[in-house]
Amino acid sequence: MNSLVLLMVLPLFAAFIIPVVAKFSSKLALFTGPVVLCINLLLIMSAWVKVGSGAHAIFLGGFLPPVGIVFYIDHFSLLFSGLIASMVLIVWPWDAKESRLYSLYMLLSAASFGLALSADLFNLYVFYELLAVATYGIIAKQKNSSATAASLRYLFISSAGSVMLLLGIAIIYTLTGTLNIAHLATMTENLHGFAGLSAFALIAIGAGVKAEMFPVNSWVAEVYGTIPRQLSALLAGLISKLAVVLIIKMLLMVFQVQAAFDLLLVVGMLGVISGEMVAWRAKDMIRMLSFSSIAHLGVLFIALSIGGSKGLWLAIAIMLHHLLVKGGLFLMADRFSGHFDKLKGLAHHSPMSAAVFLVFILSLLGVPPLPGFWIKMALVMNLAELGGGLYYLAIGVILLATIIETAYMFNLVQTMYLKADADSTPLNKRYSASYTFAKLFALLLLVSMVFVSPISKRLKDIANHSANPQIYIHTVLPARYLGEKS
Amino acid sequence: MTKYSALLFISGLVFLLMVITGLLPIFSDSHTPMLVGKAILEGAKDQVGAANVVTSVVLGYRGLDTLGELSILFAAASVVGLVLTKSSFNKAASANNDKHDHHDSGFVAVNAIDLIFPLLLVVGMYIITHGHLTPGGGFQGGVVLAVAFSMLVIVRPRRASINHGMVSIIESFAGVSFILIGVIALFKGQSFLQPLLSHGEFGSLWSAGTLPLLYLAVGLKVGAELAGLLLALNSDEVVD
Repeated sequence: MNSLVLLMVLPLFAAFIIPVVAKFSSKLALFTGPVVLCINLLLIMSAWVKVGSGAHAIFLGGFLPPVGIVFYIDHFSLLFSGLIASMVLIVWPWDAKESRLYSLYMLLSAASFGLALSADLFNLYVFYELLAVATYGIIAKQKNSSATAASLRYLFISSAGSVMLLLGIAIIYTLTGTLNIAHLATMTENLHGFAGLSAFALIAIGAGVKAEMFPVNSWVAEVYGTIPRQLSALLAGLISKLAVVLIIKMLLMVFQVQAAFDLLLVVGMLGVISGEMVAWRAKDMIRMLSFSSIAHLGVLFIALSIGGSKGLWLAIAIMLHHLLVKGGLFLMADRFSGHFDKLKGLAHHSPMSAAVFLVFILSLLGVPPLPGFWIKMALVMNLAELGGGLYYLAIGVILLATIIETAYMFNLVQTMYLKADADSTPLNKRYSASYTFAKLFALLLLVSMVFVSPISKRLKDIANHSANPQIYIHTVLPARYLGEKS
Repeated sequence: MTKYSALLFISGLVFLLMVITGLLPIFSDSHTPMLVGKAILEGAKDQVGAANVVTSVVLGYRGLDTLGELSILFAAASVVGLVLTKSSFNKAASANNDKHDHHDSGFVAVNAIDLIFPLLLVVGMYIITHGHLTPGGGFQGGVVLAVAFSMLVIVRPRRASINHGMVSIIESFAGVSFILIGVIALFKGQSFLQPLLSHGEFGSLWSAGTLPLLYLAVGLKVGAELAGLLLALNSDEVVD
C-alpha cells in the first residue's frame, strides 16, 4: 500500500523530466503526461479493491505520526483521485506546443492528488499553493491582455486567500502544537473556543477562494471568460471541489460544532442568491455558467452545514453531479458560446447538441427522474429534518434559486429553438473532442438515473466511513497517543 | 469612497486579528503546547542523525513539504518561461538593437567577477554540503550558486556565457534525483523519502544517511532554477 504515494510522485517526476524529454522528442513529451495519468488510474483501481471498506495510512519517510506527514487512503480520497486523473486526461492540452505547459498540467495533477490524499495540515497548504501557482501559469498562458488581467486578479485574490489559510493553520498550531489532522481530532476541546473557530473561518475563506465561496469569488466570471472552455471545465468541475475537500477534512474531523455549520450555511445561502441573481441577468453563455457554478457551490456549502455523514453524503453527491453537469456544460460551450442572440436556431443546426444541452439543464434544475432531482430532494428533506430558523431559510433559498434558474435556463432553451436568422452561424462546426466528452457526460448522467438507489447507497457507505473521526484517528495515530486520550 | 471602505475593512481585520492574538496562549504564563516540536527535538538525533536539527525536519520529518516547495519553485520558473516568451515581432526589433548594444560592463566589473566567481561557487557548494551540520543547506547554498552565475550574465549581458539547455538539464536532473532517492526507499519496502544508509558518526561530514544527497539535489535545483529565471528575463527568446 505504501506505493500509493506514487499517485502524487509520478506526476511530479513527469513534470521535472518533461523539459528534458522535449529536447529530444516533443511527441514523447506530449504523451508522458497521459501515460502517467493512465498508470495512476490503474493504481487507483487496484487500491480501491485492496482498501475495501477499510482505511489505510501511509507514513511518509517512515516517521510515525504525529511527527511525520501522513497520507490517508480510503474510498473518499480514492474517489477524488480517480476524478482528478480522468478529468486531467479529458482536458489534456493535445494541441499545445510548449512543453512547459505539459509540466504545469502535471504539477497541477500532482498537487491535486496531494490535496486528496494528505492528512497533514501544512502539507495540504503546500499542495494548495502548488495548485495555485500551476493554475496562474495555465491561465496566463493565453497571451491576450484580458487573460493577463484575469490571471493577475486571480493571483491577488488567491494570494490573499493563501495568507488567510496559512494564518488559520498557524493559529491551530499555536493552540495545539500539532498539524496532523487525526491528532487534532483527539484534542478538539482546545479548538472549539473563539480562537479555534476563527481559525476555521480563516481556513474556510482562504480555501474558499478556489471553491468560489461567496465573498471571495469575484475572479470567477473574468477568469472563466478568458480561458479555453476545457480549462473552465477543469477549474469549475474539479479544482473548486478539491478546495472543498480541504474544508471537509477540517470540518468533519475537527470542527463538528454549530458555529462552523452556521458559517458555512450563511456563506452558502449568500452564494446561492448572489450567483443566481447575476446569472439571471447574464447575456452570454460563459458568464451565465460561471455564476450558476457559484450558486451550486453555495448549495454544496449548505449541504455541508448539515454535518456528519449525512452532510458528507449529500456533499459527495452534489459534487459528482456538479462535476458532470457543469463540466459537461463548459465542454459544450467549446462548440457554441458567446452572446445569447447568436444561439438562435441552434436546435435546427444541430438537434443532438441541443438535446445534450437540455439533459444537463434539466438535471441541473432538478427535474425528475434525473439525478439532480433526487439530490435536491434529499437535501431539502435533510434540511427540514434538522429544523430551526436558518435551515428553513436555506430551504426557501434553494427553492427560490430553482425558480430563478428555471427562468433563465428556459429562456436560453427557447432561444435555441427559435428560427435562425438567415446569416447567423450559431455552431462552431469543427470537430472537437470536448463535445464527445460532453456527450459522454450526458450519457453517464442518464445511466446514473437508472442506478440512483445503488449509487446513493454506495455513496452513503463511503460517507459513513469517511465522516467517522474514530476510524480516522485509529487508522492514523499509533496506540500510545490513543491511550493518552482515554 | 473606495479608499474609506478599504480602510474600514483593513482596520476591522487588524482589530479581529489582535483579538485572536490576545486569545492565543503566547502571552499567558502557560507555554504554547509543543507536542510535535518536543517529540522531534528528543528523537531527531537517533532517528535521523543530522547535527543540524532544522535539516532533520526539512529533509527528514517533513521531506515531502520540501519536495512540494521545490515543485512550487519549478512551477513559478516554468510560468515565467511560458509567459515571457517574446513574440516574433519583438524579436526582430531587438535583433536590430543588438548591433548597437554589444557592450560588457567595463574592465573592473568583468575582471572582478571573474575573480569572485570561483570563490562564490566554493562557498555555495560548502553551504550545500554542510547543510546537515551547520546552519544553511540546499536552499541557501543554491541561492549563492545562482548569484554566481547571475553575475556572469550581468557583466556580459550579450554574450552567452551559460547554456540555457544545460541549466534546464541540471534542473530536471536535480529534481528527478530527489524523487529517485525517495523512490529507492519505496522499492526497499520502506516508505517514500525514508532516510537510507547508516547514520555515520554524529557531526561528521559523512553522516545522516541520504540527507546530504537530498540537500545536494535541492541546492542544484534551486541554483539552476534561479539562474534559469534570470536567463529567461535576459534572453530575447526563451529556449524550451
